[in-house]
Order: sequence, then structure tokens, then C-alpha cells
Amino acid sequence: MMRSVINQLLGLRLSGNSSVLVTQVRDKGHLSRPRLRNPQWFLRKEITKYNDLMTAENKQFVNEVGTNNFGVPVVIKDCLVKTAGPTANEAVWTPNLRRCGVIARKIGQYPLWLKNGERIRTTLLQIVDNHVIKYIPPEEYLPAQVPTVANLHKRGCILVGSETTNPALLTKEYAGIFRNSGVLPKKNLARFIVSPEAQLAPGTPLNVNHFRVGDFVDVRGKTVDHGFQGVVKRHGFKGMPASHGVTKTHRRAGNIGGGGEKGRVWPGTKMPGHMGNRWRIIKGLRVWRINTKYNVMWVQGSSVAGPTGGLVYIYDTILPTRKNKEAPPFPTFYGEPQQDGDDVWYEQVHNFKSESITYENE
Amino acid sequence: MNLSTRVMLNRLTQQCVYKRIVTFSTKTAEHVIENQEEQKKEAPPTTPTSPVNRKTIIPANYRFVYPEFLPDPKVEWRNLVREKLERLDMLDRRKQIDLPEFYVGSVLAVTSSDPHAAGKTSRFVGICINRDRCGLRARFILRNVIDHQGMEVVYELYDPTILKIEVLRLEKRLDDSLFYLRDALPEYSTFDENMEAEPLEEGAPVPVNDIKVVLRPRPWLERWERQNLRGVANIDEYLKDKHRLSAAKVQKPWEKYDMMKDYRSSIPEEEQTEIFAEVHTELHALELQRKRNKRKRTFIKPKQLA
Repeated sequence: MMRSVINQLLGLRLSGNSSVLVTQVRDKGHLSRPRLRNPQWFLRKEITKYNDLMTAENKQFVNEVGTNNFGVPVVIKDCLVKTAGPTANEAVWTPNLRRCGVIARKIGQYPLWLKNGERIRTTLLQIVDNHVIKYIPPEEYLPAQVPTVANLHKRGCILVGSETTNPALLTKEYAGIFRNSGVLPKKNLARFIVSPEAQLAPGTPLNVNHFRVGDFVDVRGKTVDHGFQGVVKRHGFKGMPASHGVTKTHRRAGNIGGGGEKGRVWPGTKMPGHMGNRWRIIKGLRVWRINTKYNVMWVQGSSVAGPTGGLVYIYDTILPTRKNKEAPPFPTFYGEPQQDGDDVWYEQVHNFKSESITYENE
Repeated sequence: MNLSTRVMLNRLTQQCVYKRIVTFSTKTAEHVIENQEEQKKEAPPTTPTSPVNRKTIIPANYRFVYPEFLPDPKVEWRNLVREKLERLDMLDRRKQIDLPEFYVGSVLAVTSSDPHAAGKTSRFVGICINRDRCGLRARFILRNVIDHQGMEVVYELYDPTILKIEVLRLEKRLDDSLFYLRDALPEYSTFDENMEAEPLEEGAPVPVNDIKVVLRPRPWLERWERQNLRGVANIDEYLKDKHRLSAAKVQKPWEKYDMMKDYRSSIPEEEQTEIFAEVHTELHALELQRKRNKRKRTFIKPKQLA
């Protein structure tokens, strides 16, 4: 406090003499962390709910209007969006370009079968009502915490929103984020770091056709919060026997280190603690099947982070051997998705509409 | 169990159809029995009255015939869009293969493609000892004794490698799952591989086989004395007092009054109606087709002799 006041005074005195301001760097050490500057879209979302002394009928009417106009549509229609027609950007895809991602919800898991009879487990991800809100070019995008991206300065940022919500429940400043996008306020926002060639105009809808079957994706989600857990649940330790003279140490870790020169607890030792509620990215999951009507994609495996109904973010994979080799819809899919409800299946997957699997005699 | 009780049981199940909603996770048998005893004491059962007028008439037995169409009642796992997509897939598969009505205790023959078998197909005959899971992961276990060796095969109902499922003997048993056959004498789970199908009359109720199996002496795979089994004849032979005491300790006789437990482990009736209303027309069409095929199969054109 004192130091800052002195600095200010010094600054005043200096500004009187010369226009050069000397910043002190002596105090900068390992303790002076970068100041947390939240992104500009981190604003207070929900308004305070006051008791408005409305009659029950009026309240019901207001709620009805809200849900009718702004409720989350299951089948996505673009009727709510008044965009000036996003102009298709004619950039050509090259393997080094990074595309936008989408916001999805994990809606469950069920098995599919391959044509060779093998059973695979899949997770269903629904891409609900995604629209581009804003594109921030590389020069203007200055995050406080620099994302670990190669060629950072050459990448811009796309702000994507999902799930239209009732604006009456939102604060003015939060709803202001959407002012120039032509999109109604959304419940969820996410930013995606993209190459400038992959920029999208505000109001562009993103749907499941952004990805193709057979592509590999990375899925980021927040794992289920288990709270403070012991070592058996958190790290899969075996615990100790239930009987044979064992007392009071059935689920304890046991030894946590040696003696002598190493007589201390080594950093990284597995111990009890908080489990879950962390961001995790599962990389390189194949898209087996796509449903364009409900905007659902079936993704390999059952290890996508988060509970059923949780939000996840889907990106093109960064794994070098599984990266896109052919051009995906770039910068995104602009056509009309077909509405006949027929799914797109990857060639190796058995379609339930086709006949049972039989094996040929060699 | 004599004939009258069997009739009573049927009528009771009909009644209970409207009252209780049963999924995999609920224990049905105990409730039915206890209800039955209570009813006997009270009054003769009255004819069931339909509680609601529905637009589409969905047969009340659909949730027993197609239990896998009801989703898992665990709230955290439910999602309406996922369930709908899953049902569509199930219907698509059912259009390709005839998945018949069967219960725990029915004798089935499953033909499936097998890359390691001689003719690339294998056929297994056995008694269904358990059905579990919902949706596309629905599965059942068949058990048989072949060359004095007990065999069990787990089949997934919607596995596309299954080519054909025949019901050789359609019946129910007294219990919800027959895992105790593993500890019973082998003759109770031995079925002839070349067994002929035993057709039931159309529209006849599914018979309940009240056979009581004979267990072999301990050691057993599970503590059967704790499970209130009705289909076991000689369990008392092998019990000592300590077994009876410990079995009495773990009993939970209050659970049949636990309405919240029942609610949590079942799909509400309104939702069931919704679900079956969605799939009813297609399932009904498939049933009609199956009947037609059956008649075609049974009618054999007489040959002209001479």
C-alpha cells in the first residue's frame, strides 16, 4: 500500500520533469504472480431475483413467454437467430490450420457393433444450439494466462455460445456480450483458439456436421466431483486385509517413504485428497456415427469426463497420427443439414438397419 | 402349487400391472407372493378396472414382454434424447431379427455367427437363468449341462451376430433369477440339444413352472438361505442354526413398505405409457408379422400320394 502510494508520488514528480516512467523491477520475484485478468466475457450472468409482488397469473404468464420463446430446443431450429447471413469464408484448408470447436452435452453411453462383430462402447455427445458470438483477431486477443499453443500470436479466438436462454434472467452486461452477434443470449460460452483463416462470422451456427464420421476428436470436460477421498478410491490402492489381526488399517495407504537420505515425503506421493472436479481432455476419440436431426455424435469409449448431462468441449484432435488428413468442412459446415433423420455411419460400424453379421468360410 | 393358486397368481399379476411398475432393478416375486397372501385373507379378488383411459391401447403386459425398452431408473443417467435414439436403434434391430417374448426360466435356442465354429455358426440350447440391463445392452444368460459340464453363455439381446432366437419352452419360474441352478443337481439344468419347440396356444397366459430344484450340499456359490428362494426344495437340509440366525439378521422385511425405494427403482407409469406409446405401433406390427410367419410355418401342404 505504502509502496504504491510512493510510486504514484514518484510518478507525479517524474511526469513533471520528464515523460519517462521507470518501473521498478527489483521486487519481481517468484512470489509476484501475474495478476489474474479474467476474459472480457467473464461477467456476472444471473440477475438477483427480487420478489416482484406479481400475481400468480402474471408470474405464470411471464414464465410461459420465457420458456416458449427461449427454452432450450431439443431439435435445433434456427428460427430464433436473426443473422445477416454469415458470409462463407473461402479459405483453403491446410493441415496446420486450427478450426473452431463446439460446445456439447454428454447425454449418455451405449454400445455399437462393428461389422466384424466386435462390440464397442460409445458416448453420445449432443451439440445443442451452438452459435458463434464473436471473433477476436490475434492482435487484439491478449489473454492473461497464455494458452500453451504454438504460434500463439498468429491465432485468434472465437467465442461460441450454446443453449439459448431467457434474457429476463440475465444481467445487462452479460446480455451485452451478444449485442453485435445477432444471436439471443446463451447459457454457456466457450472460447476456441483458431487460425485467422478459420475465423467465423458472428451468428454462424455450428452443428454436428462440423465433424465427419471417422474423424478423431479431443473432448474436454470437468470430471465428476467425488470430494475428499481416501487412497483406495482415489488411487486404487489395495488397502490392507480385513481380518488376520489387522486393526484400524483396512483402507490406509501404509508406508509413504523410506528413511535415511530420502527421509521425507517425496513430492507427488499418492495420498488422500480431493478427487475429481478437474478439467481433463480425452484425446483421439473416433467419431463412429452422426445424427444430424438431433445433432448427436457417437464417440469412442466411455471415458469422456463429466456426468451425464455435463458440458464438454469438442476439438479436432491434436494427436499427430490421428490429425485430419483430408480437408474437413472448413472453416465450418455451411450447408443445410439433411432433415430425413438418417444417420451417417462410419464404414466399419454395423448399421442396425442392415442384416445380421455372418462370417464367410475361407 | 395347485391350479387354483396359479390362477390366483395370474389374476394378481394382472391387477398388479396397474399398481406396480417393475423394472430390472425391482424385486417382483416377493411382493407378488406377499400381496397374494394378504389378499387371500382379506377378500376374494375383484375384477381389475382400468385406471386411465388411454388413446392408444397399449397391452398391459408390454413391460414384462419388452422390459428392456424401459430405461434405467437412475436419475443421473437419464436423458430423453439418448433414450429415444436408443429405442429407435432397438426397433431397427427388431425389424431385422425376430426377438421373441421370453422370461427367466424359459428354454431358448440361440443361433449366432461365430468365426471359430465349424460352419461359422453355433447353436446353444439352455435355460434362461437371468435377464438384466436395459436398452441396447440388454442381455440374458443361458445355462445347460453338456457332457456333465455346466455351461453358461451370456448373450446380448441386440448383438447383431445373433442370427436366430427360438423359444423352445415358454414358461416362468418361481424366482426372478435362477442362479441357484449352479448349485443344484445337474439334471435340473440339463436340456436336450435337439429339443423340439413346445408351442403354446395363442393368447394363453404364460405358465409358471412350480418345480422345486434339489440343491447339492455345501459349499455353495452364494448364501442361498438369505435370498428367500421359492424354487428350492431342500435348502433346510443343509442349514444349521447359525445359518438361520445370520440369515434372519440380514432380512429386510420393511423394504416392501418402502415406497421411496420403490419409486427410485422404477419408471413411473405415466412415463412407461409414453415410452410404449412411442414404440407400440411398430412392435405391434412386428408381432402380427411373427404370427403370420408362424402360421405359414405350421401349415404344411399335404403331399399327393399316388
